Amino acid sequence: MTTAQLDKMRLELRRGVLVLAALALLKQPHYGYSLRKQLQDSGIDIDEGTLYPLIRRLAEQGLLDSEWKHAEGRERRYYQLSTMGQEMLQQLTTEWRLLNGALGNLLASDEEKA
Amino acid sequence: MELVQRYIAAVQRELPETKRDEIGRELNANIMDQLDALTEQQGEINDAEVAALLKQMGHPRTVAQQFVPPQPFINASYMALYKNTLFMVLGILFVLHLVEVTTLWLSSADMGLIRYGFALFGGFIDEACFGFTSITVAYWFMSRQQPVANTSCGKSWQPETLPPAGPGWQHIKLQDIFTDLASYIFLLVVIWYPLSMSAEQLAQSSLLLSSNVRLILQYSTPVIVLGIMHSLWQLQQRLWSRNMLASHVVLNVVIAAIALYLASTSPLLQLNTERWYGVFNLQQLERSAMITLVIIALFPAWEALRDSVRLRKFK
Repeated sequence: MTTAQLDKMRLELRRGVLVLAALALLKQPHYGYSLRKQLQDSGIDIDEGTLYPLIRRLAEQGLLDSEWKHAEGRERRYYQLSTMGQEMLQQLTTEWRLLNGALGNLLASDEEKA
Repeated sequence: MELVQRYIAAVQRELPETKRDEIGRELNANIMDQLDALTEQQGEINDAEVAALLKQMGHPRTVAQQFVPPQPFINASYMALYKNTLFMVLGILFVLHLVEVTTLWLSSADMGLIRYGFALFGGFIDEACFGFTSITVAYWFMSRQQPVANTSCGKSWQPETLPPAGPGWQHIKLQDIFTDLASYIFLLVVIWYPLSMSAEQLAQSSLLLSSNVRLILQYSTPVIVLGIMHSLWQLQQRLWSRNMLASHVVLNVVIAAIALYLASTSPLLQLNTERWYGVFNLQQLERSAMITLVIIALFPAWEALRDSVRLRKFK
């Protein structure tokens, strides 16, 4: 397997999880940079070119509420989960736990065979 | 900070007008936050460091496309239908153009074969460009109106209505149908159009066939009409069936036989010998025409043989 192939697969794997991670963090209001920093601190490194358009798309889908606020002499757009976003987060969390459990079993049985 | 403003303006230029202000404003806030964080880490920052940060963010066009992904000109759900319409319309345009140019060629005194070829293909390219543009614009418009509508892949289909699984060749290509259709219609025009011409026009026309050959071709008209009907049947079904293959074999055998019979006829051509004096002699041209007819006969013969083999394997 080439490095390019691995990078592509890794990107695809992370892309789906990223929505869940962003929704989970946006229970609290965040602006773009603070969200990215929080994700990085939690071990999810993501470039701004992916994250900022993603949160805009989530807001356009009605999963996030947004508001421009002035702080420290600068305006920033703060995002937070909407009611619809909260429901979505709940459903996606359940789905994630099911998948994680199933995958955990699959990967464990693979390791045992090896 | 001028670099940042230039960068944001470059991104905005790549965005739809309705989203420029909002995305520009948000991008500006995000970049400023990153510059603040950089200043916190390194102290005062210079233009080179700002430029490095902007370069790391990506080319303005890439950033704009991340915010507003480019929409395909034609929606993917319409693509199969679009291609089908395109081939169908181009095929029909070719057949119509063939009729138009062939009648012009037959009635013209100074239109040789080379000019006929140019008029046929050059004119078709003109019409094809117009057809391609019109269809593409129509589908583009449909894609803008109903981006998710899909007429051919709805929920109304049933697995039972799908055609039985067969070999790959069973699906008939549109270009094969239209090639046959164009050939048959070309022959019909060549055979019947001269009958509407006066003796004077006929004498001046570019038609090279002898009256004997024209008579045989006139008697072959029912076969050509059957060929046209067969092509239309193929166009409607788009899948070979046993009956369709069997009739195609018979049709091609008859066409090959007619071509071979014509090849054995003499004279084949009616030439103005004065015009060709010193260039070709009549015998050379007759021989060339006879060889051409034998080669032409090989095509339907090959199709008849191929379809016979297919018919034998057909379940």
